[in-house]
Amino acid sequence: MPTLLTAFPDFRQLSDRRGRPWRTSDRPSTPAPGSAHVGQGNGVVRLKVNGDVYEVGVPEHYTLLETLRYGIGLTGSKQGCDKGDCGACTVLADGHPILSCITPVWEAEAFEVRTVEGLADGTRPHPVQDEFDLNGAAQCGFCTPGILCSAVALLDRNQSPTRDEIREALSGNLCRCTGYTKIYDAVEAAAGRLREGAP
Amino acid sequence: MLRLPPFRYHRPVTVSEAVALHLECETGQYVAGGTDLIPNMKHGLFEPPDLISLRRVQELRGVERRNGELRVGAGETLASIATDPLVLEHAPALAAAAGQVAGPQLRNAGTLGGNLCLDTRCTYYNQTRFWREALGFCLKKDGSVCHVTKVGKKCVAAHSADTPPVLMSLDATVELTGPDGSRELPVADLFVTDGIWNSRREPSEVLCAVRIPVRPDRRQGYAKLRQRKSIDFPLLTVAVAADMAGDVVTSVRGVVTALGARPRVLSGWDELAQGRRLDADLIEALAARAHEQCRPLENMIVDVDWRRAMVPVYVRKALAQLVR
Amino acid sequence: MIRPSRSDHRVIGHPQRKIEGLAKSTGRAVYTDDITLPGMLHGKILRSPHPHAEIVSIDTTAAAALEGVHAVITGRDMPVQYGIIPWTPDEYPLCVNRVRYIGDGVAAVAALDEDTANRALGLIDVEYRELPAYLTPQEAAAATTDFIHEPKKPGHNGNVTKRVRLEFGDVDDGLDESELVVEGDYFFEGTTHTPIEPHCAIGLFEGDGKLTVWSATQVPHYLHRELARVLDLEGAKVRVVQPLVGGAFGGKSEPFDLEFCVAKLSMMTGRPVKILYTREEVFYAHRGRHPFHMRYRTGVDGEGKLKAVDAEILLDGGAYASFGLVTTYYAGQLLCAPYALPAYRFDSTRVYTNKPACGPKRGHGSVQPRFAFEVQMDKLAERVGMDPIEFRRLNFIGEDTRTINELRITSNGFLECLEAVERASDWKARFRQLPFGQGLGIAGSTYISGTNYPIYPNDMPQSGVQIQIDRSGRVAVFSGGSEIGQGCDSVVAYIAAEELGVPISHVRVLRGDTDFTPVDLGAYSSRVTFMLGNACIQAARELRAKVQSAVGEAWECPPDRVDLLGGLAVDTADPARSLPIAEAFNLAEARFGTLGATGSYNTPKDVHGEYRGGTIGASPAYSFTAHVAEVRVDVETGIVEVEKIWIAHDCGKALNPVLVEGQMEGSAYMGYAEALMEEQIFKDADHGRAGLHNAPSLLDYRIPTSLDTPAMESFIVESNDPEGPYGAKEAGEGPLHPSIPAIANAIYDAIGVRLDRLPFSPPNVWRRIREAEAGGGLTKPGAPSREVGVAP
Ligand SMILES: Cc1cc2nc3c(=O)[nH]c(=O)nc-3n(C[C@H](O)[C@H](O)[C@H](O)COP(=O)(O)OP(=O)(O)OC[C@H]3O[C@@H](n4cnc5c(N)ncnc54)[C@H](O)[C@@H]3O)c2cc1C
Ligand code: SF4
Ligand code: FES
Ligand code: FES
Repeated sequence: MPTLLTAFPDFRQLSDRRGRPWRTSDRPSTPAPGSAHVGQGNGVVRLKVNGDVYEVGVPEHYTLLETLRYGIGLTGSKQGCDKGDCGACTVLADGHPILSCITPVWEAEAFEVRTVEGLADGTRPHPVQDEFDLNGAAQCGFCTPGILCSAVALLDRNQSPTRDEIREALSGNLCRCTGYTKIYDAVEAAAGRLREGAP
Repeated sequence: MLRLPPFRYHRPVTVSEAVALHLECETGQYVAGGTDLIPNMKHGLFEPPDLISLRRVQELRGVERRNGELRVGAGETLASIATDPLVLEHAPALAAAAGQVAGPQLRNAGTLGGNLCLDTRCTYYNQTRFWREALGFCLKKDGSVCHVTKVGKKCVAAHSADTPPVLMSLDATVELTGPDGSRELPVADLFVTDGIWNSRREPSEVLCAVRIPVRPDRRQGYAKLRQRKSIDFPLLTVAVAADMAGDVVTSVRGVVTALGARPRVLSGWDELAQGRRLDADLIEALAARAHEQCRPLENMIVDVDWRRAMVPVYVRKALAQLVR
Repeated sequence: MIRPSRSDHRVIGHPQRKIEGLAKSTGRAVYTDDITLPGMLHGKILRSPHPHAEIVSIDTTAAAALEGVHAVITGRDMPVQYGIIPWTPDEYPLCVNRVRYIGDGVAAVAALDEDTANRALGLIDVEYRELPAYLTPQEAAAATTDFIHEPKKPGHNGNVTKRVRLEFGDVDDGLDESELVVEGDYFFEGTTHTPIEPHCAIGLFEGDGKLTVWSATQVPHYLHRELARVLDLEGAKVRVVQPLVGGAFGGKSEPFDLEFCVAKLSMMTGRPVKILYTREEVFYAHRGRHPFHMRYRTGVDGEGKLKAVDAEILLDGGAYASFGLVTTYYAGQLLCAPYALPAYRFDSTRVYTNKPACGPKRGHGSVQPRFAFEVQMDKLAERVGMDPIEFRRLNFIGEDTRTINELRITSNGFLECLEAVERASDWKARFRQLPFGQGLGIAGSTYISGTNYPIYPNDMPQSGVQIQIDRSGRVAVFSGGSEIGQGCDSVVAYIAAEELGVPISHVRVLRGDTDFTPVDLGAYSSRVTFMLGNACIQAARELRAKVQSAVGEAWECPPDRVDLLGGLAVDTADPARSLPIAEAFNLAEARFGTLGATGSYNTPKDVHGEYRGGTIGASPAYSFTAHVAEVRVDVETGIVEVEKIWIAHDCGKALNPVLVEGQMEGSAYMGYAEALMEEQIFKDADHGRAGLHNAPSLLDYRIPTSLDTPAMESFIVESNDPEGPYGAKEAGEGPLHPSIPAIANAIYDAIGVRLDRLPFSPPNVWRRIREAEAGGGLTKPGAPSREVGVAP
């Protein structure tokens, strides 16, 4: 059973106040061909996140990041720059890292979202999560969720990455604390564990 | 957090639906990967009441070789283009350019179509609404003066996309489909010098695909200048292609961008190069010719003299890739 | 590790996990913006579009009338000036009658959601009367009217925040007697902290008159005080909660407008109010590195020993004082080690300009002069004909000594630092010997390990820790330390585990809440490990003694035969005899009652000079650092690749070497970033609009990606400070300093071109190279001609 969340106070409040209709359901015109895939009538988005299906009521102009953080309450993904410049909001879309702060939430219906909260196997952290802790790869930890998503995408396709491949894979994630070295160490150590068959 | 302005979101699955929606909404705008448009919307540069997403349109996908051409769907992501075997084989410079756009996450979402339709960029324009208001806005959006040229009534914001120069150097064409049907246009004719809307594409037209002639005798090169090795837009991009008869050049093209509102096709190259071997002297001469023609404007925050001086350097780097 | 360290520690000195490490890597760690309270409103701040203007009037009626808006405030609602330094209060939470930079806060609203709040801002009508704006420190210093702040005395220039002139020894004589004097002008461009977490705060005012503010701050205690003062509340009714902080680097070390605004808006609405800065606002909040214009004259004698240093410094302070008084002193005071200066003079002036205020950034006030001075050192070494590392050794100040400005140096591992990087970089075989375009550079530095004097004068401890022990064997540490990523929550857990013999996982650190933690003054001036660590040791040892004594009593042996380790109480004379630690705790509780102890630390107050300002720069201990940087310079493009930085740092004692290395690498990275790319700069009248931030975004304010950042190798040097906790000093700021001059000196080694202005961005380097070519061409500088002595 999907969870139905309408976590946004403004979902109800905004629709009538704005001077012009903006919600699909309020739209006066009926857009034509194949209107099944046109707009999202009731503003309820259906997302698959970390294996769960959520139905969340959101204003139509929300981003995936806003929906994850403030709608579903998955606050692991961070917001660092507002607009695609820093990588803190990186999540996996069908396994590929993307920036959730510039992804309109409706797009996310088309793929499975995996966030930092979905990397662990139950109570067992993903090897790269564990190695981040062991290697001091997270200082303030604010870039960490995004970096881990990029790192897991890399490790999913390559369990013997060279340091240059790691640098390349993480090159869209800014970290201001670590100077990256300890992050590479952690990813390399995790790759080693994965090669040895760690889950 | 910077917020998006409100909009309605449409998700057609065919090009004709998309075009019909555009017609119907009147004020709609297409969005593909959203990696250019969404940040721009957060800056209040676009406020389309209707967004028409192209991501579900399967027709825009695919890379195939057919009739001596490579056809790349506009909806292909930059990441897939950078690693596609057909692209790597027949248009390696395109793969290189796509692989150097922005950072990995943006390449996973950003598309070739979006790259060809990228809005021009300028230090007085790609800013928040608050910032632009404090500036007094500019000609391109909400204002009446250009802070770069100071006088003119023309916007000279920089064309900043990486793939168009390559496509131009390879004589590629684009397929456009709009309310009046489909047409083809050489990429070289796609851009105009008006930074406000630097494209001959009508806003209602969907850019469906790019077609690149497959020429075994053609060598391709690409060089990009940026300050960081990832994330940054180009400060200068140079694409070159040379058609060869053995060791001898029959034709050579160079295209430079990130200067003004459209990529610049370097002139006078064939006169210098035709019938000659591609040696250091020729490369030097071509680079010098490029230098004469390219004058970057202060549309970026980066020293224009330096950017200009980098033109021959990066032309040489790109041409060096053609030498075997 | 060069010096042997005491090795009998079981926890301290070994690599450990951080206590919140897995929470951070699994996404469970809670930062301020992760908190949503029931009924929470969202606030936004209206900002000035003018660099300098008088506020003629503000009309908020339309905004207040907008549906969904719950409150609108302006400066008049909080007309109390504050400032982090009590002597220089010059800011209002929101501007009252004057705005001083583009981005200065003018009004704020609380609404149901951010969109409504943004719309409400658009409905606030502010009438301004524009004033002349001063954008360069030179303009500001020359001004005669329209000062940015009212002069303190009539006839004074209101644009001058602070001027400090101090002389130690006779500098003029020293320079006269010098065999060689090198003179240089340097410029350090402003840079900003850029933590990845933007500032965020939530205020909640409840019916009983209690105010709680959650904030991404690095100084909860100072925030607590200022909230009470500005909002006229009893301090006892104000609570500051500090969730985890997503980076700070000095950028969150004073109160900001949003913290006052969420509090006031909550007081008006009775609802929780959150404000989250946009990235753009973080650039306006700033308080980053001051741009410094510097002139140095440095003299040496015939042997190559420093004789005298004369410095003149102009600091571009931005619109408010912030920590500027301290910065103005630090600009001069922190230069007097690791080299012995027989005579030293500095004249440092900070002026206001109509730009976001500058303040403390990692290595507060001393990174800029260190850059200039270490380049001077390189120039001198070359002129003297000495290897620059030898030259630094020759001038080493030593340990257990006083600097010329009377600061007390205790432990000093600088020579070991030099040796470590010299060896690791294969310096002797490569300096001046690499091919043209490649080079090595050296630089050294020192930094305070906490400032001896708190920001407001008082005799209370600088740091306190409380520990409580439970019958289960669980140890609770109540720590006021500000965890900003550096690991201070973990450090107190390590100390408690070390002293009380419990596994780290049995220690809970209760933190970041002024309601239940003793006061610690905050995460600034590299004070945390030293002060909080000492306080924690004191509390833990008191409990340890009780446990030892109770167990000793039970075992009928002297208490000092009882050791607590590995979850056991052990008889050191009879290792077969032991007790699970929880049972030992129970014995102690039975014997002494509920087990709790407090510990506190205060700094020594007699270790500075008796002159005005002599206390500024005084620290219980100093860290020392040396870096070698290796670069590759492309003379055609001006692109500098920093290939590697070797970092050796004397942190006294590495309580957890992983964390220390992390601080060293993070610091060196940040220095590298400032050296090569960062610029907090502003448009001028020819470029759009004077005073507009050049590019307040993480796209255009470039911080290095993984592909840019050089390889780094760390060497921890342990000098075991006599007063530090287990011998520890600081590691969070010192290791930033040498990066920049080491890179400058390496560029010189590579191509023979001096770079005295930051940043060494490709266009700047390219211009300098073109100038050098015009002036005679580029060549690799020659190898040092002699070991000691002035070149003929
Ligand atoms: C931090 C950052 C760095 C970047 N660096 C670079 C860089 O180095 N080089 C570079 O070239 N780009 C860069 N970009 C821009 C962008 O990511 C790419 O250009 C990308 O290719 C844009 O594609 P998109 O699908 O995301 O475009 P969108 O944002 O979806 O669309 C861009 C524009 O094209 C239109 N459009 C898109 N597809 C079509 C279509 N098929 N038919 C008609 N119109 C269409 C849209 O209406 C919109 O106006 C960067 C962006 C960011 C945020
Ligand atoms: S070039 Fe001129 S008109 Fe165009 S965006 Fe820049 S300032 Fe505006
Ligand atoms: S928050 Fe999405 S890229 Fe910075
Ligand atoms: S750990 Fe703080 S930003 Fe990366």
